This record gives sequence, C-alpha cells and structure tokens, in this order.
Amino acid sequence: MTELSPTALRGFAEQCRHFGPVELLPQSDSLMAVVNCPAAVLKPLAEFLVHSLHYRFGSLVVEEHPTQWKLIYLFYRHEGPSLVQLCIYLKADHPQVDSISIKIHAADWHERQAEDLFGLVFTGHPRLGDFVLHEEWPEGVNPMRTGFSATRPMQEKVVDPAWRPARILETPGAFLMPIGPVYADYYESAQFFLETVGEDVLRLIPRFFFKYRGVEKLAQGRPWQRVLLMAERFSGTSAIAHATALCGSLEHIYQVQPPPRALSLRLILAEMERMRHHFAVLSDICHASGMSVPSAQMDILEEQALRLSGQCAGHRYLYGWVTPGGLNRDMSATTLDTIARETRRMAEASASIHRSLQFTSSFLDRFEGVGAISMAVARELALVGPIARASGVSTDLRIMLPYGGYAQNGGPPAMVEPLEREGDGYARIRVLFAEIQQSAKLIDAAVAALPTGPVRVETAGVLRQGAFGWAEAPNGAAFHYLRLDAQGCVQRYQIATPSFANWHGFHIAAENFAFQDFPIMMASFGLSIAESDR
Amino acid sequence: MFGWFVKGATSRVKTTRYPARDETALGVTPGRPVETTCDNELLAVDLAATCPTDAIKPASFKTTVDISRCVHCMACTRGENTMRWQMDYRWARWVGNDAGRAARHRPFQKSLHIRVVDTGSCDAVISEIKQLAKPYYNMHRLGFFITPTPRHADVLMVTGPVTSPMRLALLKTYAAMPEPKWVIAVGNCAISGCVFAPSFIANGSVADVIPVDVHVPGCPPPPLAILHGLLLLTGRETEMQPIDQPLGGPP
Amino acid sequence: MTNMPVLFFLAMIALCITGAALSAWVAQHRIGPLLAVTGSLASLMILACATSVLITRQPMQIDLWHLPLLGLLRLRLDTVSALFVLALGISFLPAYLFSKSYMNRYPAHYNIRGFGMFFHLLLMACTLVLAAGDVITFLFSWRLMSALATFPITLEHRQDEHRRAGYLFLAMNEAGIILATVGLLLMTAWAAGHIGFTALHQAMEHIQAGGRWAIFLMIFAGFSVKAGLVPVSSWLPRAHPVAPANMSAVLSGCMLNFGIYGIIRFDAIIMAPATAGPGLVVLAIGGISALLGILYATIDNDLKRMLAHSSIENLGLIAVDIGAGMVFAAYHMPVIAAIAWVVAIYHLINHSAYKTLLFLGAGAIDHGTGTRDMNALGGLLKRMPVTAALFLVGALAIAAMPPLNGFVSEWLTLQTILRSTELASRFSRVIFALCGAGLALTAALAVTCFVKTFAMSFLGLPRSDTARTAVESPQSMRVAMGVLAVICIALGLGATWVIPLVDRSMFPLTHQLAANALVPPFFTLQHGNAQFSRDFLTGFEKIGADLGKGVVPARGLVILHQGKVANPVVYAMSTFYMAVVLVGIMLIVYLLVRLTTRRRTVSISEPWAAGLRRLWPDMSYSATGFSNPVRIIFKSIFGPAQREDSQIAVAGHFRTAIRRPPRDTYIVDRIFLRPLVGGVKVLAGLMARLHRPAVVNAYAAWVFIVLLFVLVMNRLF
Repeated sequence: MTELSPTALRGFAEQCRHFGPVELLPQSDSLMAVVNCPAAVLKPLAEFLVHSLHYRFGSLVVEEHPTQWKLIYLFYRHEGPSLVQLCIYLKADHPQVDSISIKIHAADWHERQAEDLFGLVFTGHPRLGDFVLHEEWPEGVNPMRTGFSATRPMQEKVVDPAWRPARILETPGAFLMPIGPVYADYYESAQFFLETVGEDVLRLIPRFFFKYRGVEKLAQGRPWQRVLLMAERFSGTSAIAHATALCGSLEHIYQVQPPPRALSLRLILAEMERMRHHFAVLSDICHASGMSVPSAQMDILEEQALRLSGQCAGHRYLYGWVTPGGLNRDMSATTLDTIARETRRMAEASASIHRSLQFTSSFLDRFEGVGAISMAVARELALVGPIARASGVSTDLRIMLPYGGYAQNGGPPAMVEPLEREGDGYARIRVLFAEIQQSAKLIDAAVAALPTGPVRVETAGVLRQGAFGWAEAPNGAAFHYLRLDAQGCVQRYQIATPSFANWHGFHIAAENFAFQDFPIMMASFGLSIAESDR
Repeated sequence: MFGWFVKGATSRVKTTRYPARDETALGVTPGRPVETTCDNELLAVDLAATCPTDAIKPASFKTTVDISRCVHCMACTRGENTMRWQMDYRWARWVGNDAGRAARHRPFQKSLHIRVVDTGSCDAVISEIKQLAKPYYNMHRLGFFITPTPRHADVLMVTGPVTSPMRLALLKTYAAMPEPKWVIAVGNCAISGCVFAPSFIANGSVADVIPVDVHVPGCPPPPLAILHGLLLLTGRETEMQPIDQPLGGPP
Repeated sequence: MTNMPVLFFLAMIALCITGAALSAWVAQHRIGPLLAVTGSLASLMILACATSVLITRQPMQIDLWHLPLLGLLRLRLDTVSALFVLALGISFLPAYLFSKSYMNRYPAHYNIRGFGMFFHLLLMACTLVLAAGDVITFLFSWRLMSALATFPITLEHRQDEHRRAGYLFLAMNEAGIILATVGLLLMTAWAAGHIGFTALHQAMEHIQAGGRWAIFLMIFAGFSVKAGLVPVSSWLPRAHPVAPANMSAVLSGCMLNFGIYGIIRFDAIIMAPATAGPGLVVLAIGGISALLGILYATIDNDLKRMLAHSSIENLGLIAVDIGAGMVFAAYHMPVIAAIAWVVAIYHLINHSAYKTLLFLGAGAIDHGTGTRDMNALGGLLKRMPVTAALFLVGALAIAAMPPLNGFVSEWLTLQTILRSTELASRFSRVIFALCGAGLALTAALAVTCFVKTFAMSFLGLPRSDTARTAVESPQSMRVAMGVLAVICIALGLGATWVIPLVDRSMFPLTHQLAANALVPPFFTLQHGNAQFSRDFLTGFEKIGADLGKGVVPARGLVILHQGKVANPVVYAMSTFYMAVVLVGIMLIVYLLVRLTTRRRTVSISEPWAAGLRRLWPDMSYSATGFSNPVRIIFKSIFGPAQREDSQIAVAGHFRTAIRRPPRDTYIVDRIFLRPLVGGVKVLAGLMARLHRPAVVNAYAAWVFIVLLFVLVMNRLF
C-alpha cells in the first residue's frame, strides 16, 4: 500500500465523476474512498473500477432503512485508495437494481444471496433463486428483512415433487450423480449434483447453505459481545481471523487503536491458526490421495499445533482472545518462547514432509493438472487466499490492506507472497507449504520484537455507525461489516468470507473431470462450508 | 515409497493411553468451569453475570455450571473473583433412557460403527471428531470406526444445531440405521444450540428431532471428551467423575 | 409316408395364399387375428414339414416344369434346408401370434391390408427359397422374398426415415442379388448350362483356382448383404427399427439366415472347399462383423437398433463358424469341420429363437410404453412383470449365460477356434488367434450390452412418464414370447439331443458325423485315461453301458471337446448338469435360510441416498451413461476424435446449456458406404459427360466400342 495524497483521492473522485453525479463522502481517507452514486451509475462505474482500475469485488452489504435501501459495494486493490465503497440508495418500495454480475462475475453469489435474504431484485442476473434458501423455504419470505423474527422457527413449506435444480447439460442420457448432503466419512454438509453422461463429469451444480445458521440475522439487535462469540464460532477453525475482522470494524466504529503489544500478539495467534489450518488441509490432501503416512505425519503436526494452542492459549481453537481494543489476556514470555520454538520445529517438520512429497510420483500424479483454475478466472471471480495465490493472483490482505500487527513498523511485514502460476492442485499444495514457513517466520519475528505494555484499551461511545473490518483468514480475505446503533447493539452485520468467495470458483475447477478426482479436488480446495454458509 | 515407510516406522507412537490411563499432556482440553463457592450471594450473582451464555447460575453461596451452555470463553476467569476451572475432559453424560442403556452392552462393547452427521456445526467440532481417527487419539484401537453408510452404523454422531435444511437429512439418516441404535450429540450447539439459538432456522437441539442417548458438551468438545462419550455409550467408562486435583489452570 | 412333407408344404402354400386373399377382404382390425390364425397354421405346417424331413432324412422333392432352354425346375427340401426351415418356423410362428394385438396400433394411421397380404406371402416366398432345387427357382423366389419384405418394412410409409430405410433395404439387397446372380450364372456356365444343384456340385469339383475365387467372392459378397455382414450391413440398423416389431423379428430371426443359407449352399456344399483361402475370408469377415456389431449394440440406446447391431454380431459368429469349417475341411480335418458347421447351424437356430424373442419383447415394450429409447424407460419390471421375465430369458440366452442355448453355441464356437492350433499353416493359425481374441471380447461385450439393455429397461426408476404408466402386454404377445422362451430353454438344456439331430441333418455338407466326438455315447472314453489302465476302464464301460442302456438315452448329457495329439485337452460342459446344480444350489440356500433364520421383523425403508429429499429418476444411471466407458475406450472406432461440447452462455461463466454434438456416423457408412456412393457418383458424372448431346460423335464411338467388345467376348467364350 502506498500512501495516497488528498489530491490523488480527488483525482480518483474526478475519474468517477465521468460516469455521472458521483459524490465522494467526507469520511474518505487515504485508505478508503466512500462514494455515493446514483443507482443508474453503479453498473458502468463498477465495471470501470474492476476492468480499468483493477479493483476486485469484495462484498455487497445491504442495509434496510425505514424509507430506503442502502447497498454498499466494496472493492479493494493494492494501490490507494485501496478500498472503495460504492453506496447506492433505493426506494423502500422499489427494491430493484441492475445486476453487475454479468460483467463482474465475482458479484454473482453476493447478488443471489441478497436476492434470497432481502428480496432485492437484481435485474439482468441470469440465475436467481435456490441459493441460500432452498426449495422448502416459503416463497416471498426474506429472513433478513426487519419484519422477520430472528427467533421464531420458520414453517417449512411442502415441496413440490416436481422440483428440480436447474440443469444445463442438454444431451440425451445425461443424468445427475447426487453427492450429499450427508457425506461419506465426516465431511461437512453440502450438496453437489454432478452432471454427467457417464464416466467424466461435465459440470457440477453446488448447493450450499445446508448449514445456514443465519449468523447475520441472529446478530441483529444483540450486543456486540454476543456477536463476537458467534464470529469466533461460526467457522470455528478461523476464530482469530474472524474475531480480528469483527473487532477491526468495532475499532473503526469506536475509533480506538489497540496497543502495539496486543497487535503483535494477535499476529502471533493468527499465524498459529493459519499453521494449524494448513496442516489440516494438507493432511486431508494426503488422505484423499491415499498417502496414509504423509497424512498421518501431517495429522501429528496438526494435533501438536492444537495442543500448543491449548497449552499456551487455553483453547485449542484460540477462542476468547480477541476483543475490541486489544486482547482479553496477555501472554508470558515463557509461553511466547514455547510458541516460537514449537512453531519453528513444526515448520521444519512440514518442510521435510514437503521435500519427501515432491519426490513421490504417485502423489504428484493425482494433483498435477487436477482442478486447475487459470489466472484469468481467478481474477474474474475474485478468488482469494491460497487458491488465488496458486493461480498467480496476489490477494493477501496482510499486504494489500495491512492491518493490526501487519501494519506495525510503518508498513506491511517483510514477507514474500508465495505465488504459483499453474493453479492446479499441486500449485495449491506448494502455496500451503510455503505459507506454513511464512507463518513460522512471522511468529519468530513478532516474538523477537514484541513490544511491551498493556494489551487492551477501553472502548467508549459509538462514533461511527457502520464500518468494515478485515483480516486475512487462513482461507483468504474476510470482510466484516458492522453497524451499531446508539446503544451499542448490532443493527447490521455482514460477513464476506473467503470460503464463500472461493467456493464460487469451485465449479470452474470441477469441469470435465473424472469422477474419481472429485475427492481430490475437494481436498485441494481445502475450504470450509461452515465458513461459507454462516 | 520406501522413504515413507521408514518415516512412518521411525515415528514414535503418539497415541494417548486413555482410557487405560488418564491423559496428562498439556493442551488436550480447554477445561471447564465447575461449581464454585462464593463468599456471599452478591458475589455469586456478579460471577454469574460474567457469563455471556448464562451457563453459570447463582445459587446462594455458590455458582452452579450448566456445562452444556459453556463456550469456554473464559470470561468468568478474568475478573476479581473467578470460577474454579478444572482441566478435565471426562464430561460426557448419559441422557438416554434405560432401555438404550440396557441394549448397549455385549455385542457393542468391543466394536461400534459411527456415522457422523453435520447439521450446521462449525469446523472445529468436525476437526475434533477427525482427530479421533488420527494418530494421537486413534479410536480404531478401541473398536470405534467411522462408516460411510448409516446402514452399517450403530451410533449416529450429530453435530450442530440442526438447521432446517438438514433436519430432513438427519431424520432420513436416523431412519436408515438398523436397530438398536444410539445417538450422540457432540458439541454444545447440538445439545442446546449454544450461541446459535434461539433461531429462526436452527432447531437448537438434536433431542427435539431424534432421541439422544449421550451428550458430549464443549465448544468444541476435545477429542478425549468425545472418546469419553463413546466409551460411556459402550459401558466401558463411567459418567462425570469429578477430579479433585485439577490438571492445570488456565494460563 | 414320404408324401407327408409334400402335403404339409402344399397346405402351407394354400394357407398363405388364403390368408393373403382374406387380408384384402376382411376389416382392418381383423387383420391381426387373421395373421395369428392362418399365419400360425401355415407356420405349424412348415414346421411339421421340416420335422418330417429331418426325422425321415428323406429330402422332399417336387418337380415343377421343364423349361425348354434351361432344364428342370425343381423343389428339393433336403435336410440342410429343413434345418433352415425349422429356424424359419421358430421365428414366424411367434411373430404371427404376436401380430394379433400388436397390429391394433396401426389402423388409425395406416392401411394394414397390404401388410397382411405381404406378411402372409412372405412365409411362402421364404420357404420357396429354401426349397429351391435349382438356380432359377432359387433366384426367382429370392427376388420374390426381397420384394415382399420391403412392403412390410415401410408400413409407416408417411415417415421419411421409414421410406428411406425401405429404399436402402431394397437397394442393397438388389445389389447383393445382382452380384450373387452373376456368380450363380458363372457357375451354371461352368457346369455347361446345368441348373440343378446336384449337377452344379459335380461340375464344381473340377473348377480352376481363378474361377473358384471369382465365383466364391461374388456369391459370398452377394449373400453377405442379406446376412448383414460387415461391410454391407448398413441396412440393418436402419431397416430394423422402422419395421413393425413382428416384421423386424422375422427380418432378423429368419431373413438374415438366408444369407448364411446362400453361403453354405453355394460356397460350402456345391463348391466344396479345396483351399483355406475362402474359409479364412469368411472367418475374418465374420470376426469383424461380430466385434463391430456388438460394439455398436453396446452403445446404442434404441432397443430395436441395438438388437439389429446385435444381429450383425450373431451372424458374424455364424460366419466365423462356417469359415472355420471351410478352413478345417480344406485342411482335411473333417471332424472339426463338421463340428464347426454343426455349431454354425446350432447358433443360427438359437439366434432365430432368442432374437425373435427379443425383438418381440422390444415390440411389447414399445406397445406398453410407446418408446424404444432405453434412456426413457426404466422400472418396467413392476409394470410388465411377465414381459420382463420373458425378455430376461432372451437376454440371458443371447448374452451366452449358462445353461441357456446361447451359451452352448458360443462355448462350442470358442472351443472350435481353439482347435486351430492343430492347423498346419501358420498364417491360418494367426488369423484364427486374432479371430478368437475378437470373439472373446465380443462375448464379454455381449454381456455388458444385455445387462445394460435389461437393467436400463426394466430395473431402477422409470425415467419418463410413458415408462411410469406402462401397461403389461396382452396375452397373445405373452404367449408368443413364452413359446420362444421355452424354445430357448429347451435348446439349452437339451443341447445333447439337438447336436446329434443337427449333425445328422448336416451330413450332405459335412460328409462326416461329429456327434460321436462332440456328444459321446454314455459311458465311453475314447482315448482312455492316463491314470487308469485301458482294461480297467473297459470293464467299467461295460458295466456302465449295461446299467445305463435301459435308463438313459444313448447320448450322454455332457458335451466334450477334445483335442488331438497336438492339443490333448478335453473341455467338458453340460448345460443340463449346470441347470441341475444351479437349481439345487438355489433350493439348498433357500431351505438353509428358511431353516436357520428365526422369524424376524422386516422393516422396509427407502433407499439410502445421502439424505436427499427425493431420489429423482434422472439420478440413476442412464443407458448412455452405462455404455459410455465402452464409447470412450473404443473412441477410434465410434468416431473421429471427440468434438467439443457446444456451450451456450449468457456471459462468461453464466452458462445456460452444454450440448453434445449429435451421434457420430456408423463406421460402415463412414469408411465403406459413403466412399462407395461417392465413387459411383463421380463415375456417373464422368459417364454423364460422355452423354452430352454436344459430342454425339464421341457417344456413337462409345456405343461402337462396347458393341465391338461384346462381339469379341462372344467369340472368345
């Protein structure tokens, strides 16, 4: 990120004004440009941002106000202004807006989600419905609307026996192979229909949100303390990242800056979480290809990472640490030493496994060229995290939008983003292994240069109403949007998770593949459904 | 391939000795708050108020804990007066009826096949169940196996607060299992819905959908607690033994 | 008593003509019952005729006119012909019975009077072909048969596809007849104008190699068209699906046999094999036909077209047997040659039985559901249980599952091929080995093909509304198929009775009895046994023979195939004992289960489908999906490199449809028929250029040259 002068920001606003009466809001700063624009300007402006200024689509936040709808389209990129919020307002009785996903594919699922949950109409979107809310959900009932009770159980409707998902394979004898929602073994619940004419699968219809718990709806009207509990637990394995992102937006709202020691400790915890996550994904990858010894070796590392967390942080998945304004607890020097020592050891062990795997042809055969995603597709769908990096797209929020411990010492940490080009399963594996090393190095550096001082500052009255917070979760970029009312209760909470962004690209990778490669592709994506479904 | 063989063969045995011997390694459990005596009633009420999920209830001079609501946030350990924290893991509970308890013995004591159904849980619970089949816990040594089809399953392990799209799948899975069958609810969200209840889309409790025999509380329950639940089901372990000596405190 | 066959024969002709006459007269809805009555009676007559010839072993002979220039026209039904007549009867009788209810579907749209007439006369024409005793009668009745068959095929003449298939059938058969006619005329020319088969046979013994090859090739090519051998099989997969089921049953169950009859009669009997060459050609063509036939049958999803391809396969197998017999005979191994020929005829009769059954079954499915597309069927077992059971018998038989009839003939075919190790020529051995490998693959694919056919039609969930509302076939159809199912089972279980019968009847061709080698008399061991002394065995044989004489028939129930010194292996097989063991095992298992298990509660629950709300029919394997692996493995045969799927998208990744390009062309069309047609067109274009009025002189010159050529040829020969 480069610092952006006010003139440059004005220059950006000028560029935007070519498209219509666009207004740059005063809360814009060097990092974020907040732009109000008429609904008619949205589509060309968004296209301009994405295709000419190389922004990536981040999130779509819908707010329902008594007299109007506010839609916030979030875009981000490396150079400043790194974040752009396009805000449009719609009349309450006319919730209709042009779809941007024809030209900006990354917005596809976000628009479908908003259509299901709010009943907004995105004109021109080719495929709406049957996304978050499945066939048993009554028509015309939108759970995120303010009139809808968050606690009263919803009555399911009787499903029409003729109901079918939309199929596109038009050839005689085509049929569906259903997978899920209850998987073999202990995979999470989701459903995939494989469209095939036998042997090779031509296309995959993913159906998620079997695990939809309505976190965003449940958050409404609750104190943020309670929402923080949910933010840690909706995905479970990325607790620190999502808690950091949520607390980031709270800290923007309260305008507080956590003390440096807290930021460094957050960095250490986040990297521990990343390491454990990558160990688990790599173990699943080895398991899917039938490599039981490497799988067991990664399992050992994973459990060691879990025990390290349990021993040093009191919870195996690091719940209960992050709080707005810092951390709930401090860590002793000996604990930190243990963490640094152990993570270094685990990183070395994983490097040794990686070296051995590189020479195991039966392993490489299963992953090379499997589930490939080209760089163009990764960009088009705004994929994030290790999957995007494996396709050569740099999307690390730690570098793009440095936050917390990553922004200390005046800029992003000295880290090299591991980029690969092939975009296949093997490239993703290499990225994961490289990130483990990176995390160990970051932890080492943070422990060595840990500032002293308190780990928490108090938060006070609400200063801003809505703000974004973000974090690089193990799976990639997570954006949390929070809007508080005057009492400190949550009015609107919206999470854009990395799994949600990346599952969107899964069906591109899963095209024209042999059926037996399906588990391998799933494993090499290593995504969480709980995180995507919320 | 030979390299892998050597690597595997030269790795030390990592597997826990539990249930033959208690596991004393650090970090295998987050621990839990237990009944704490307080100097006066007001302190008890104050202490209970620190809990964001109402797991702690004041009861005159002490506070009681409903562990199936506790999410291990450790808020109750941070103030002036704190809850007693116990680092054990044998906290699974038998909640089924006596007929199920009677049927569980004999043929199922040595071997049990488990079908896991995720009805909206977080990844952490799934991850902890996965750990059971991995080197450190290796439940296969105890005769427990994960089976892909409910037709072969004796035990249904349910996680998550039973979201409405998964309710039908859960019922179908349960119906597909042969008799006798048992159900273990793993994790607090499967027991009470935890932070995701009450909700418009999640049932909040597996017991409202199908009869449950064993509760394994925790958020997420550590692998040893799940193992305890399985052993409890087969009658090879006893219920909730309070350990007087804590295995360690929160850091 | 020798007049019995003649009486039956004349009765058949009378019945056929009466039936045809009545067809023109009765109301349309009575045509079906009429066919069922007069047609069946005529078929019974012809069956009786054939049976009496086979039993008495006396040829039926009727002398017709003495043509002034050509000689005596004669009908002569010898035992070889009688076997073909038997197959014809087996196919025609159920087809007529089947017509009763089946024809009801047409009168609303088409006039079926013509069908009734031609279908009656077809039986007569077919019998005449087999009964012909001289070239002229043969050719006359052959043409009659071809012409008569064309009309029933194109019954639904208003549909383009049907008309085109009819034309193709007629054109290809005409081309075949012309070739065969030239061959036969060459033969008569060589025999100094004699047209009787016996005279021809005597004349052919002294023919030179060049003439022999020319006559052989012409006759073989001509009759291959009728037999549907590759590369002249294009008409089968087109004509069979469009014909009414009873017609396609007859077309496949008996008309194809005439090609084989022609090859046997003229290439094997009249022109006894002297060198291995012609035999090897027949063998190779047969092997290729079998393999290509079953490959296309496996991937085809139209029930009747699949059966048509399967007919190509079966006729290929028969050709392999005939070719093998010709090679063995040329190498002076008469016993193996006799076995091969006997197997050929056995397989031919089997094929007539089960293919007729399957075609009628396909007709019954079509009748019950309105579709023949396997992708749209499924789950018919519940709606059409009887049809399903009968179809299953046919499918098991054609897939060569013991103890049914297909197994016997395919087993013997493969065993005969294995005997080729005793051949002297290495080249022949190589051809035989390749052919054997091809046949092994064919046998395996046949199982795949019919597992697919049965499973996709009768098992699983109905994949369309028509399949969901299917109705069981009416009684007449079930009876027709039932007769054939019984014949299939009988031909399988009674193999050891059928083989000697065929063997005896094939004597005019084989000049050697194979039954003693193949189905040895009870309690004999011809070569002794290494472990027991000869005396010891002889003693046992005597006791056994004494014991068995009164109780069991002379032939055993075991089929033996034993090699000679070079290949001293004995292969033994008995469908009868297999059946006994199978039934026994099933009974024992049933009893054991009943005895050992306590009374237990049975709970019925829906199939486990991973918690799906509902298992939709399109979630089960489709016929296309089932055979797709075969399509992928043999991609190079089915079509050139796979073309890209066409994708229709709104924008980028918003795809709304993926479409597969249409089915690729039949390999025979691709590499033979189309180039041939193209070549002929080019040639015709060249000739047309000579006809241009502008160059009258050139035209006149051509006429002159042709005239000169004819004169010169006339002078030379």
